[in-house]
Amino acid sequence: MKNPEQNIAAWTRAQAKAVRKVALPAVAFGLASVAAATGQAWLMARVLARGLHADAGPLGVLLGGFGLLALLRAALGVAADNAAVSAGIAGRRRLRHQVLHRLLALGPALGRQRHSGELTAVLTDQVEAMEGLFARWVPAAMLAVMGPALVLLVAFWTDPWAGGTLLGAGLFVPVGMALSGIGAAVASRRQFVALARLQARFLDRVRGIATIVLAGRAEHEAEALAAAADELRRRTMRVLRVAFLSSSVLDLALAGALVVLALHYGAAALAGRGGVSLSTSLFALLLVPEFFAPLRAYAAAYQDRLHATGAAAALVNLPEPPQEASHAGPQPAIRTISAHGVSIAFENVHFAWDKTRGPVLNGLSFRVPAGETLILIGPSGAGKSTVIEMLLGFIRPDSGRVSLNGLDLFSIAPEARMRLMAWIGQQPMIFAGSLRENIRFARPEATDAEVAEAARAARVDAFAASLPRGLDTEVGEGGYGLSGGQAQRVAIARAFLKNAPVLLLDEPTAHLDPATEAEVLESLRRLAAGRTVILASHSAAAHAFPGRRLELHGGRALADAARGVA
Amino acid sequence: MKPLLRILALWRSRAGWLLAGAALSMAAVAAGVALMVQSGRAVGIAIVAGTLAAPFLLRALGALRVILRYAERLLTHAATFRALADLRVWFFRGLAKGSAGGLGFRRAGDVLSRLVNDVEALDGLYLRILIPLAGAVLLLPALGIFIGRTFPLLAAAVVVLFGIAAFVLPALAARQAKSAGSDLTRALSALRVAALDLLSGMKEVLAFGAEGRMLAQIQAREDALFAAQARVAKRSAWAAAAAFLCGQAALLAVLALAGAAPLGAIAATFLIVASFEVVAGLPRAGVLAGYAAASAERVLEAAQSPAPVADPPHPLALPRGFTLRFEAVGFRWQPDRPMVFDGLSLEIPERSRVAILGPSGAGKSTLAALALKVVAPQSGRVLLGGVDIAALSAADVRSRIGWLSQNTHLFDDTIRANLLLAAPAADEQALWAALDQAQIGAFVRTLPDGLDTWVGEKGLRFSGGQGRRLALARALLSPAPILILDEPCSGLDADTERAFLLTLNEVAKDRTVILIAHHLLGIERLDRVWRISGGRALAAAC
Repeated sequence: MKNPEQNIAAWTRAQAKAVRKVALPAVAFGLASVAAATGQAWLMARVLARGLHADAGPLGVLLGGFGLLALLRAALGVAADNAAVSAGIAGRRRLRHQVLHRLLALGPALGRQRHSGELTAVLTDQVEAMEGLFARWVPAAMLAVMGPALVLLVAFWTDPWAGGTLLGAGLFVPVGMALSGIGAAVASRRQFVALARLQARFLDRVRGIATIVLAGRAEHEAEALAAAADELRRRTMRVLRVAFLSSSVLDLALAGALVVLALHYGAAALAGRGGVSLSTSLFALLLVPEFFAPLRAYAAAYQDRLHATGAAAALVNLPEPPQEASHAGPQPAIRTISAHGVSIAFENVHFAWDKTRGPVLNGLSFRVPAGETLILIGPSGAGKSTVIEMLLGFIRPDSGRVSLNGLDLFSIAPEARMRLMAWIGQQPMIFAGSLRENIRFARPEATDAEVAEAARAARVDAFAASLPRGLDTEVGEGGYGLSGGQAQRVAIARAFLKNAPVLLLDEPTAHLDPATEAEVLESLRRLAAGRTVILASHSAAAHAFPGRRLELHGGRALADAARGVA
Repeated sequence: MKPLLRILALWRSRAGWLLAGAALSMAAVAAGVALMVQSGRAVGIAIVAGTLAAPFLLRALGALRVILRYAERLLTHAATFRALADLRVWFFRGLAKGSAGGLGFRRAGDVLSRLVNDVEALDGLYLRILIPLAGAVLLLPALGIFIGRTFPLLAAAVVVLFGIAAFVLPALAARQAKSAGSDLTRALSALRVAALDLLSGMKEVLAFGAEGRMLAQIQAREDALFAAQARVAKRSAWAAAAAFLCGQAALLAVLALAGAAPLGAIAATFLIVASFEVVAGLPRAGVLAGYAAASAERVLEAAQSPAPVADPPHPLALPRGFTLRFEAVGFRWQPDRPMVFDGLSLEIPERSRVAILGPSGAGKSTLAALALKVVAPQSGRVLLGGVDIAALSAADVRSRIGWLSQNTHLFDDTIRANLLLAAPAADEQALWAALDQAQIGAFVRTLPDGLDTWVGEKGLRFSGGQGRRLALARALLSPAPILILDEPCSGLDADTERAFLLTLNEVAKDRTVILIAHHLLGIERLDRVWRISGGRALAAAC
């Protein structure tokens, strides 16, 4: 079995691999820039040699060439940067898309496991943290191989001695890193995990700071934080002493190549051996920094990779979407259904959220004829909300059948099914936006007049009149806060606007005080007229709602339970 | 850049380390540049003068560069670790003194994580911004002096070009990044709001078939964010290109004059190549500095906000009684917000069990904040054991009150460490007793590591009900005679809520228990029920 660190590393690799194609332009521009740089090095060498042996060709042409290549390199640099940004964008867009779809596939059940604020951070901050991996590390990793290879070719073509020296220095880098660094790499990875853990600890303590302060333990935690950081520093420095040896390999290779080439060409000049001109010598020396530049960029980009690895943990640990396969059996044909007069039936439905904790619905059967109201009553945990979530299609029965007008609920196309239903829950979600937009949410194509009519029917206009900008007042996150009763009226207005034949009400007054509850129930009564309604509530006032009552107990209708019907 | 200077001022006590690191880094830069120059000179001199100039110097510089770079890395990292630890601890202390309590009551978890991101953005301040800048500071005069010996006029031009590349362009990049930073922050928070809307409104979104619309909205905001980022990146790419062209212009000038002094030109060329390479990353460091400055502003503001309720200069001794009394309390969170309480009076006698009910937004949690001295009433007073808590120290008041809320944080630590937070001196037996009372002891005994089991971030390894029970065990372990349970069941499914409340009936019989909720299930064992409405408390039938 893989441990979490390996999982994260494998996931990071897979992510990097997926954007490799998008990063190709950045690599191509980078490679072209390396080529231009070797050209410039050659021109520089010629000009400098010309000062000593005036035989290198016209100065103007050489300088002009140098200048043109400089402009070209500047342009290529900008192009490579822009291409890298595009790769970063493409990678994050793809990843965010995947995460979004995964979260949607998990559906409302996800809210049982994770706080929405935390998931929001995954979707925003954690995905953003992958930017460096996509934009810098991936191109740098490819260029770290191709760039030096290109310089090497040029060097060999110019002077096999220079090529040989660079090749030796180039090969020394991985070999030297391996020799000094096998232990160090493992240790530094572990060290990075320790560092990430310290960061996580800091974040964790800051998030829980209210708990710490109210427990009177702030000073103690501050000291513990300092001690942990100090301990980590001491351990890290022990590891870095070895780990930096492998970074020194790069420095050693660069310095070694320069010294060897300088001494070689100096000695060659003294010996008067022909064949190697001053211009070739200088060219070879000037190639050295170009040879190592991509390797150094790669080493610098490693920081980005580490940063991404830190963020990857939260992305890797997202829960898996439910296996559709567990709802065995072939998918029946998708059908649509007429939108008038819908009857609802549950036949011997079983369902458990968690098999180990027993069923929530245990052979539930009932029928609601078109246009009638059924009030589900019973203690908390009797399965009232589960019935409603099942009708909304958030969950599927483990066995048994749920049908609308005799058609299996899950054989109806989801869009058609959702068109039939309006739903009002305990605490309706008020989205960031104006009150009007919040109502229009139910039917985006509705006209202003229709929205105003729905607002009137739900008595939203009554409190909207007292708001600074009426229906155009901003509400929700960062806007004006609505009270529980006001939010519930917005939800009712949405249901009026949607005008669906089925109305599902899940504890719509649970969070309201009695006076507000009575007003909201009055609005709901008007909304219920002519629709098929299921109202789940344990509120006494809601039980006065006109309609047939069905008491749930232990996941079945009480009458059934009493009769012992399985 | 003023906030960055204030952050640097925090590091005064580490100045020795930081300066030593910078000095070593300068020495490493000097060795690297000298090596490059000397290798060019060696070849040139060999050809012109027919001698191999100072081969020993060349080898020594090569070795020196490698050794100095190694030492620099070690020292600068050692310095960074010290400075960062200081910054974190300072930030934590500041936050704990200031807005901490209020943040806990306002569900600002994501605000806090954003602040932590800001602190992390300051990590690169020394290593990625100041250290490269130190190298540039060293090279500027070196270029002038060295090239000036052969080409006085050229030296002036090179120094100007180097100054532009190393200081002017990075500073411009920093300024632009700082002003673009607010655009980016705005775009990111717009994306955050859209994501939060989708994730917390998932049921609405599915029930109204709005997935497509919500996805489109998120994607539109994502695109806006990307566009803003691309604008900043484009500008910084141009800054880098401009810095690069400065170096190229300097080279071109040297090359044009090479005929006059060939040997000097070779050395100058190699010097310029090496020097501009050192500062090539500075425009990007400038962008980082711009962001870091914006982060530093937010960090300073958060860590230096004053405590919302100052302790009295001479706090009274804590009374022995622990009856909690609110007398005609008036309170609002902010002057422009409506009153939460307006003449609220209620008394909670010692060892009584009461429920405080009310719709969301009625101020039930504010009641807990008032009792815990997280905020102070604008009129009226709160008394503990007959003494106005304004005359007591906050720490003393809190030592009398245990607090368990829907947001109570389980730390990413062991079960033991989480429990000990409430009572650092508790022994093993006391821990198990609290766990058993909270009816989670049996479960913890089945875990292979028992009390030393890691809880996982935010208690994620445990289910919601188990996490709440652990938090209850922690609250029970605290010796505080008053327990405030602020919507302890929110977010639990109905079965779990019921089981939790039944557990609650059996614990803390010798303490005051205040249960804050929006409704009762009818299974709670209570002496009294208060209902908050219209900013006042009304006694309700039990």
